[in-house]
Amino acid sequence: MDLRTFFLLCMALILAGCDDNEHAISVDLSRTEQVIFRETPDVITYAYLPQYSHRVSYTRHQALVRYLRKETGLNIRQIFPDNFDQHMKMVGDNKIHISFSNPFIYVKIARRYGAHAFARIVEATKKETFRGQVITRTDNTAIQTLGDCRGKTWIAVDPTSAGGYLFPLGHFFSHGITKADFKEIAFAPGPGGKQEKVILSVFAGKYDLGTIREGALDVVAGKIDVAKIRIVSRTPTYPGWVYAAVKTLDNKSLDKIRTALVKLDFNQKDHREILEAANFVNVIPAMDADFDSVRQLTGRLGMEMDQ
Amino acid sequence: MKPGFREKLLMGFFGLLLVQGLVIFLWFSHAMKASVLDEIKNRGVSTGTSLAVGLVEPMLAMDYLRMKVLMDETTRLGNDIFYTFVLDPDQNILAHTFNSGFPVELKRVNPLNGAGPSSLKLLDTGRQMVYDYAIPITVNNDFLGTLRLGLSQTRAEKVVNQVLVSTIIIILLAIFLAGLVGTLLVNPLIRSVKKLHDSSEQALKGNLDVHTAPTLDRNCWDIMACNREECPAYKNYHHRCWYLAGTLCPTCVEGEYAKKIQSCQHCRVYRKCSGDEIQSLAESFDAMTLSLRGNLSDLKAAEKILNEQKARLQTILDAIPDFISLQDQDGRYVSVNKAFCQILGKPRNEIIGRFNQDLFPPDAAALYNEEDRRILSTGTPLEKENQIKGPNGIKWLHVVKISVSQKTDRPKGLVCSGRDISMLKAVQDQLTHAQKMESVGSLAAGVAHEINTPLGIILGYGQLLLEDVNSEGQVYKDVEVIVKQTKICSKIVKDLLSFSRSNKSVVTDFDVHGALEEVIAVVEHTFSLNHVSIHRGFHGAPLSMKGDKEKIKQVFINLLNNAFDAIDTHGKIYVTTGSVKSGREIRISFIDTGCGIKKDNLVKIFEPFYTTKGPDKGTGLGLSVTFGIIKEHRGRIKAYSPPKTDKTLARGTQFVVFLPTDSN
Repeated sequence: MDLRTFFLLCMALILAGCDDNEHAISVDLSRTEQVIFRETPDVITYAYLPQYSHRVSYTRHQALVRYLRKETGLNIRQIFPDNFDQHMKMVGDNKIHISFSNPFIYVKIARRYGAHAFARIVEATKKETFRGQVITRTDNTAIQTLGDCRGKTWIAVDPTSAGGYLFPLGHFFSHGITKADFKEIAFAPGPGGKQEKVILSVFAGKYDLGTIREGALDVVAGKIDVAKIRIVSRTPTYPGWVYAAVKTLDNKSLDKIRTALVKLDFNQKDHREILEAANFVNVIPAMDADFDSVRQLTGRLGMEMDQ
Repeated sequence: MKPGFREKLLMGFFGLLLVQGLVIFLWFSHAMKASVLDEIKNRGVSTGTSLAVGLVEPMLAMDYLRMKVLMDETTRLGNDIFYTFVLDPDQNILAHTFNSGFPVELKRVNPLNGAGPSSLKLLDTGRQMVYDYAIPITVNNDFLGTLRLGLSQTRAEKVVNQVLVSTIIIILLAIFLAGLVGTLLVNPLIRSVKKLHDSSEQALKGNLDVHTAPTLDRNCWDIMACNREECPAYKNYHHRCWYLAGTLCPTCVEGEYAKKIQSCQHCRVYRKCSGDEIQSLAESFDAMTLSLRGNLSDLKAAEKILNEQKARLQTILDAIPDFISLQDQDGRYVSVNKAFCQILGKPRNEIIGRFNQDLFPPDAAALYNEEDRRILSTGTPLEKENQIKGPNGIKWLHVVKISVSQKTDRPKGLVCSGRDISMLKAVQDQLTHAQKMESVGSLAAGVAHEINTPLGIILGYGQLLLEDVNSEGQVYKDVEVIVKQTKICSKIVKDLLSFSRSNKSVVTDFDVHGALEEVIAVVEHTFSLNHVSIHRGFHGAPLSMKGDKEKIKQVFINLLNNAFDAIDTHGKIYVTTGSVKSGREIRISFIDTGCGIKKDNLVKIFEPFYTTKGPDKGTGLGLSVTFGIIKEHRGRIKAYSPPKTDKTLARGTQFVVFLPTDSN
C-alpha cells in the first residue's frame, strides 16, 4: 500500500466518523397561559371500592362503565377513590353516584348516607355469596389450625373490608378467638391495592397470617409464587358485592342502570368479556334486606356502623 | 538534512499512532456520541415511560397533586429534565412543572396520535436545545393521556463533550505512553544499528578490525571448560565460536559457518551466547569482517605478485625495440610498450583506453579498424609493411597483428607488434641505387667505348676540314661548330668513362691543400670575372692522403663549378679543410652563397643525369662522377642546403667531403 492510498483510507475513515446535526423545531417559551380545570356537567360517577389498585379497578370495570354509558346513554364516568373511607365519604358527599362495594361498606353507607342497594353480583364461583380466607406462608408450620393463630401477628385488608377483615374477624370470634388474642392486628397501608398488600406482606413473612377475600390470590398469581401461600381457613359465606345508589340519583337513571346491569348475559360474547374483566358472572336485582346477615355479624362483633 | 532512521521510525510510529488515535477518536467519538445521545434519549424514554406508568393511578384518581408531585420529583431528580407536563386525550393540560404559566406553543409541537408509539423531537427554545418526548399514558391499551417530557440536549451535549475531552486526553496519554514505550524499545535498536553503521564505515575505510557485537561474560572455553589453547576460539572475546573455522570442539563439524552452524545450534554454548536478531547481525558482521580481512590479505599478496609481474612484463616490453600493443575485442588499447609511445609521440596514459580513431588520422584509423575487424572475425593473422609519417619523418614499419584467442568463441583481443625497418629500407634503396649506378656505369662504359672511336674520327676529319677551308668563310664557321660540339661529346664520353671507372687510377701520396690550390688557381680568375670570390679556411697543417690526385682534383673542380653555377654572379665560395677522426679522415667543405637546392631535390642530386641547371649548362653527370670518385676512395659526401656549419647564411649550399687518409 503506497502513501497515497494510506492517506485516502485515513481520510475516508475520518470522514466516516463525522455526523450530521439533527433538525430542531423552534419554540417560543415566553408565551404562557394559566391552566384551568373545568368539570364536565351531568356526570354520573361510578366507583369501585378500592380493594385493589386503581389500575386493577380500571381494568375490571372500565369496560362495564363503557357498556353502561352506551346502554343507558348517560354520561357515566369511573372515578377512583384512594381508600375505603374516602369511598364512603365521597358517597356521603354525593361525589359517587353509583357505588360498587362490599356488603360491610354498604351497610355502613346505607346507615350513614342513606345509600340503597339496587343490584348485586354473582361471584366468579357462580355463587351470590363470597367469603374470606385466612392465609399464611406454606413453610410457617406454627400455624396449622385456626387456633394456632393466637399470639400471632395478623394483617387484614382494611377495618372496613368485608372479606378481608369483617368475615375473618367473625370467623375467629366464632372459634373463640378475639382481637386481644393476637399479638398484633395491622391493616394494609396506603391507598388502593390493599388485598395485594396483605398477600405480599404474608408472602414476605412480615406477618404470620393475613386475611383476604376469596379470589384475591388469583389477582397476584402472576406476581408471586402463590404456591408458597397456604390457606389456613375459610370463613362462612355472606352476600356478595353490591351496587348501591346515592339517594340523590334520580330513579329514571337508576332504572336504566339497573336494567343494563341485569341485562348482562354471560352467554353473550360481548357481555361475557365485560363480565370476565369485572370478575363476576352475573348481576341480579337486590334490596337492602339482602344484607341483614352482615348487619347481624357486625352487631355480634360489637361494631358501630357510624364510626 | 534528511531525517535519520531513528527520526523516521519515531515519526512513522507517532504518525501512525496519531492517525490511529485520530481515526479511533473520530469513530469512537461518533459512536460514543451517538451511544451517549441514544442512551440519553433512551433514558428520556425510560424516565418518561416510568413516569407515565406512575401517573396512571393519580390520573385515574384525578389526583392532580400526586401528578404534580410525581412530575416535580422526576424533574428534580433528573438534572437535565427541563420540563414535564400531562395532557388528557382532549389535549387539556392536567399538570405541568412550569413555575410561571404553561408555554402555549409547547403543547402542539410534538403531537401524539392516540396510544401509538412515543414521539421524539428536538426543540430549539432560543436558549437551549431540548429533546421533547411525547409518551402515551395507557391502561390496557386505553389511552388516558400524553406525558411530555423535555430533556436538555445542551446538557447532554455537555456530558458528551466532557466524555470526548476525557477520550482525547486518554488517547493522547495512550499515544504518549505508546511513544515513550516505543522510544525505549527503539533506542537499543537504533544504538545497535548505529554501531553497525559505524563499523561498516570503519570497514569501508579499510579498518576491518571492528568489534560490533557485544563481548560476552562467558564464552565457549569457559562454558565447556575445555582449556584447549590451540583452538582459534580460545580466549577470543569478540567472535562467537560458531563463526570461526577450525574450532576444536568435539561437537563441531569441520568447515566454515555454513557447514557447522547446524551442529552448533544444538550446543549449549550457542543457546547461552546467541542473542536476538540484531546481535546475530552484529556477530555476522564481525565474522564477515574477519573473513574479509583474511581474504583481503590473500588478495593483497596476490596483487603484489601481479603488480611485480606486470612491472616486469612492462619492463620487458619497453626494453623491446619493436613496438607492441594489445587491444581488447572492441579495439580499445589496453597495453602498449615504450616503443609504441615513441612512434605515436604520445605518453602511455594518452594511449591507454583510446581507439584507433583517437590516435591516427581518419584514413589510417579506418584502415586499421577494418584490419582489426577482419583479424578478430577470421582469426587470420596480418603481416604487412607500413609507411608512416611521424614527428621524426617518414618511417617504414614491419607490422604483425595476431588475434588473442580465449575459450569462448569470440577472440579476447589482438596483439600488434611492429619493427622499424627504415634503416633496412634505406640500405635496400642504397643497394638498389648502387646496382642501378653500376648498371648505368656498365652501360655508359660500353656506349662510351663504342662512341669514342667514331667521335675521334669525326673530330679528326673536322679538324682536317678546318685546315682546308677558308677561315673567313661560312663553311669554316660551320665546321668549327661541328668540331666544338664533337669536343663536347668527347668530354661527355670521357666523363662517362670516368663515372664507370673504366679508366685506371694512379694512386700517390699528395697534399690535399696542394691539390686544392692547383684547382683554385685554374678557376679563380674566371670566377673573379663574375665577381665570385673564393675564401680559404685550410687546416693549419698539411693534410696528406693516399689516392688518385687527378680524380680528387676533378672532384674539387666539379664542386667549385657547381658552386659557381649556383651563385651566377656576385657571391662567395668558402673552402675549408680539417682533420677528423683523430687524423684518420680529412674533411673538405665547400660553401657557396648561391640559390641553394630544394629539400626534395637534395636526395636526387647524386643520381646520373639529374641536374637543376638550364639547358646547355650541365650534363647531370658532375655530381655523379664526384660521388663515384669519392666512393672509389672510400669516402663520403654530404650536401646541406642551407649550409649546416654557417648559420649566418639563409641560402646557399654546403658540400662536405670526407676522405680517408688511406683509401686502401
